[in-house]
Amino acid sequence: MNILVCMKQVPQKDAPLKLNEAGNWIREDVSYEVNEPDAYALEEALRQKEKHGGEVVVITSGPARAQQVLREALAKGADRAIHLEDSVFVGLDALNTARAFAAAIKDEKFDLIFTGLQSDDYGYAQTGVILAELLSWPHATIIMQIEKNEGGIRVKRELEAGFFQFVDMALPAVLTIQSGINKLRYATLIGIKQAKNKPLRKVAMAEVQSAISENLQKIERLYIPQKTKKTEMIEGSAGEIAKKLVDKLRNEVRVL
Amino acid sequence: MLIFRKPLEGIERPQMPADVVIVGGGPAGMACALRLSQLIDKHNAENPNSQLSKENIYVLEKAREIGQHCLSGALLDPRSMRELLPGFEKEAPLDAEVIKEAVYFLTEKSKLKFPITPPPLRDHGNYVISLNRFVKWLGGKVEETGITVFTGFAGSELLFDGDRVTGVRTDDKGVDKENHQKSNFEPGYDLQAKVLILAEGTRGSLTKQLITKFDLAKDRNPQTYGQGVKELWEVPSGRIAPGEVIYTMGWPLTTKEYGGAWIYGGKDNVVSLGFVIGLDYPDPRLDPQRVLQDFKQHPFVAKLLDGGKMIRYGAKSLPYGGWWAIPPVAGDGWMILGDSAGFLNSQRLKGIHLAIKSAMLAAETAFEALLKDDSSVKTLSGFQKKVESSWIKDELWKVRNFHQGFEHGFWAGMFHAGIQQFTGGRGLRNRYPGTAGYEHMEKLAELPADGGDEARLLGPAKGDGKLTFDKLTDLYHSGTKHEEDQPAHLIIHDTNICNTRCVKEYGSPCQNFCPANVYEMVDDAEQPNGKRISLNPSNCVHCKTCDIADPYQIITWVPPEGGGGPNYDGM
Amino acid sequence: MPDTILVVVEQREGKLNRVSWETLTAGQALAAETGWTLEAAVLGSGVLNFANEIAAKRVSKVYAVESPKLEPYTPDAFAAGLKQFIESKQPKLVLMPHTYQVRDFVPKLATAMGRTAISDCIGYKKDGAKLIFTRQMFQGKLAADVSFACDAPWFVTFQNGAFRGDKVEAGVSAAPVETVNVQIADGVIRNKPQEVFKEAKQAVDLTQAEIIVSIGRGIKEQKNIELARQLADALGGELAASRPICDSGWLPMDRQIGSSGQTVAPKLYLALGISGAIQHIVGMKGSRTIIAVNKDSEAPIFEIADYAVVGNLFDIVPPLIEEVKKAKAGS
Repeated sequence: MNILVCMKQVPQKDAPLKLNEAGNWIREDVSYEVNEPDAYALEEALRQKEKHGGEVVVITSGPARAQQVLREALAKGADRAIHLEDSVFVGLDALNTARAFAAAIKDEKFDLIFTGLQSDDYGYAQTGVILAELLSWPHATIIMQIEKNEGGIRVKRELEAGFFQFVDMALPAVLTIQSGINKLRYATLIGIKQAKNKPLRKVAMAEVQSAISENLQKIERLYIPQKTKKTEMIEGSAGEIAKKLVDKLRNEVRVL
Repeated sequence: MLIFRKPLEGIERPQMPADVVIVGGGPAGMACALRLSQLIDKHNAENPNSQLSKENIYVLEKAREIGQHCLSGALLDPRSMRELLPGFEKEAPLDAEVIKEAVYFLTEKSKLKFPITPPPLRDHGNYVISLNRFVKWLGGKVEETGITVFTGFAGSELLFDGDRVTGVRTDDKGVDKENHQKSNFEPGYDLQAKVLILAEGTRGSLTKQLITKFDLAKDRNPQTYGQGVKELWEVPSGRIAPGEVIYTMGWPLTTKEYGGAWIYGGKDNVVSLGFVIGLDYPDPRLDPQRVLQDFKQHPFVAKLLDGGKMIRYGAKSLPYGGWWAIPPVAGDGWMILGDSAGFLNSQRLKGIHLAIKSAMLAAETAFEALLKDDSSVKTLSGFQKKVESSWIKDELWKVRNFHQGFEHGFWAGMFHAGIQQFTGGRGLRNRYPGTAGYEHMEKLAELPADGGDEARLLGPAKGDGKLTFDKLTDLYHSGTKHEEDQPAHLIIHDTNICNTRCVKEYGSPCQNFCPANVYEMVDDAEQPNGKRISLNPSNCVHCKTCDIADPYQIITWVPPEGGGGPNYDGM
Repeated sequence: MPDTILVVVEQREGKLNRVSWETLTAGQALAAETGWTLEAAVLGSGVLNFANEIAAKRVSKVYAVESPKLEPYTPDAFAAGLKQFIESKQPKLVLMPHTYQVRDFVPKLATAMGRTAISDCIGYKKDGAKLIFTRQMFQGKLAADVSFACDAPWFVTFQNGAFRGDKVEAGVSAAPVETVNVQIADGVIRNKPQEVFKEAKQAVDLTQAEIIVSIGRGIKEQKNIELARQLADALGGELAASRPICDSGWLPMDRQIGSSGQTVAPKLYLALGISGAIQHIVGMKGSRTIIAVNKDSEAPIFEIADYAVVGNLFDIVPPLIEEVKKAKAGS
């Protein structure tokens, strides 16, 4: 099974973020790491490869620093990497990102494309689904499990409130993978060494320029959310406090 | 039940041969790799028929990213960098050139400026840098030369063949709290290295193993240490100029403690400030992080920081012992560099330039070993000789008795320092003895219950949340993260001592000297004193203070699973 | 034709997904501000009764978008069916709740129509004639105001809890309901979904809980956790804890809230005996309502609490459990 894993580099989870001059993006002088859901997508792809053979290719878009994500993936066992290298990619919306990826892989033949279920920076959860639409492939989201079967694959989809559903799908297909479904493997020393010699194809913006266009949505402003909080003290005897709290829970918080 | 980290036994470990393995990717480790690369490149250019490869030269760095565990003030004396990379100033990330220095003696409310900056603290010609950024840059250059830096891998054990060091074992990954293999377990590799270079920084754990095994510390003064606690602040512009350097002594310390503060103006209105205290103070209730909070309340510091924001926190120990505490630095198959060896000038409070110089000399020795295909002590002892005939010796010789002069308090220290200044470092005798810091710690029974003059230094800081902070809040700003499900890496060899003796004799000083809230005495009715030692290992900032300062010397710090630790971005 | 806002509600397992009321509330608010007409739609097979349920609210018209192929749900069918419907009705703004199902098909739908979806919004603003939608970014650390840079129809999905489902306005009289049959050709549907089933979750996903009762060191002993558990049960919420409780093994790690545990933003977060160290706060400060009970009046948790009780949790919690039970039973 030849699998493409779309990965993204995002600011580190606890990195202090600062706004840029224009107030519409963050300053890029932070530490970055791989988008955690994508690490689970990669892990799942590597497991499928271990079971069924084939190739795992990783792709990302972003400036030079994004290459780190690919190197780590190669060190863990991915076979090839594709880097759409340009800082302009950072500002593309999900539709344009998906278009760029589709253009970059037009000569490839994959059975499956995985993405993480969403990114930790934007959190839109759209790129994988849009990519499926652009390629005219079937897709399924928030996948917990993948089994190969007669007609292609049977996947386990997570639904809300503890519900699940199996779905049979033909290949090729796009899946967005749920986080936490497997323990992530560590890269080994030998893996890191070998990664240096694995193919990493760079794709310049010029190569995919014709596939993308202006973003259909725009971030007008990015800002620190201000929460105007007024703390109300609840006082009295224990019994009185209990009654007052229940009153709040019923009428203000609306949970009773 | 506390379960401590130990390498798993009875498992097969992948073997990986190497020519040179450098344990530690700090300024020394990176400078060593870079210099070695330069020598190999030059050799290969001149000897097309006998090429040396860089394929099997590795740097092991336990942090997830290069530079992530590097913390210092810092002021860089460019002397050795200019030797390593002439013209480095043009591309290295330097915050500012030092333009102004001042040394103050503080009392609680006022400050007295030293009319003349003492020569050792004159910093003209030096640079204010962020060591983290500097090492990131230097590490980038190392990677460009083709030497592999393995980030997220710690050196956990030395490998021996008789008396010869044959390599290093990396950390076992995917081991749970009870030392069992998790589903993603990866055994540590045995890196069989011809030359093993220890550049672990202060109180290196492998260095400690080596010193113990070969009794390298005999004939030497015991190594002594200080702990530096640092905060990085963003302040309104105009408060302090980039390149402005301030040192303070005196308040809040008394004459019984050794230490002082630094304040460096960086760029973009970022200020580096911190307090260094010798880990030889008498009162076990002293809390260095609290001392820093006290210091910030001095009017002139409070004014500087008013309206500013604390953006990062960290702590690290530093070796003060000087020349007489440096062990032999080379042997059969091994060399020790930088802070691991103790190459730090405690009078000038600088060690980065010495670390880099030691690294260059070690690289030259390693290069010879590769050429001759001999890494026995015969060849590697060349490193020892190089160090002794270099400016490292010149510089450290002059301050060889500096810290020891303070064994009997501040004024005695100043007196000795004065004499040493005029006698090329000799002072009253060629070699002042020293004692290990923890031996200075006094029992609670011998100290005033209320702390006496030291009261203001004792116990945890409460913090006001704006200028001063409690330890947990400060710790949050160190970005410390570890894989939670792993065994404790602070090995306490006998927890009964903690629960039965220490709690009474010293009042469990680990809770105070650890800058990261790793150690806690929790209520336990089953214990004779109602308290039990408990650990929060994932808070650890890898400063090594516990390994150094514990009065019973029953704590051994070993690296946790690679990739974990603080995130000293910008520090 | 007047500009229309179309709210697409969600039905599953024979019920209207409650969160649909929240989206309808959002639609009503937007309609009031823009002066546009508000309509609603529900997709499925045999969904007329749902349409009637919606028609009781203040909305101009409700559509039952019907096709046997819309049951069971598949992204292919829903995207195709809704595309057809939208192309015929041409609403300006299409609103949906950000459910797993909506995430599964809306990006596909928007792309097929050459449009875009601003998803997981927590609110909206009007800037002159321009509509701006607010969403969280970087896991809630920053907020973004996002606008459309394309023609209508504009697709927006709203986060659970962004609007108050209980504030949806009833209609004066039932709105007209129309059944619209959509044609979904053979071969459009590619996935073959099986029966939906419930499974005992291996790990607790606190991020899905609406109510969380969380305990800290103030609980003092392991056996006292039972009290907190009773309160959680009475409220119908989940039990969670700050780090030290989980470190001691009193509760499993998957109940931990904070920088080394889970980050949650439930409707109600009840913090019992939690001091409010920053490591914990970052994991729950996004909660809609925070009630804190702590003996220490200076505990940092009170800085972010909506309701503060300075007192002994062992005195407060037992009567609180009783009152909650009374309230739930009584009315």
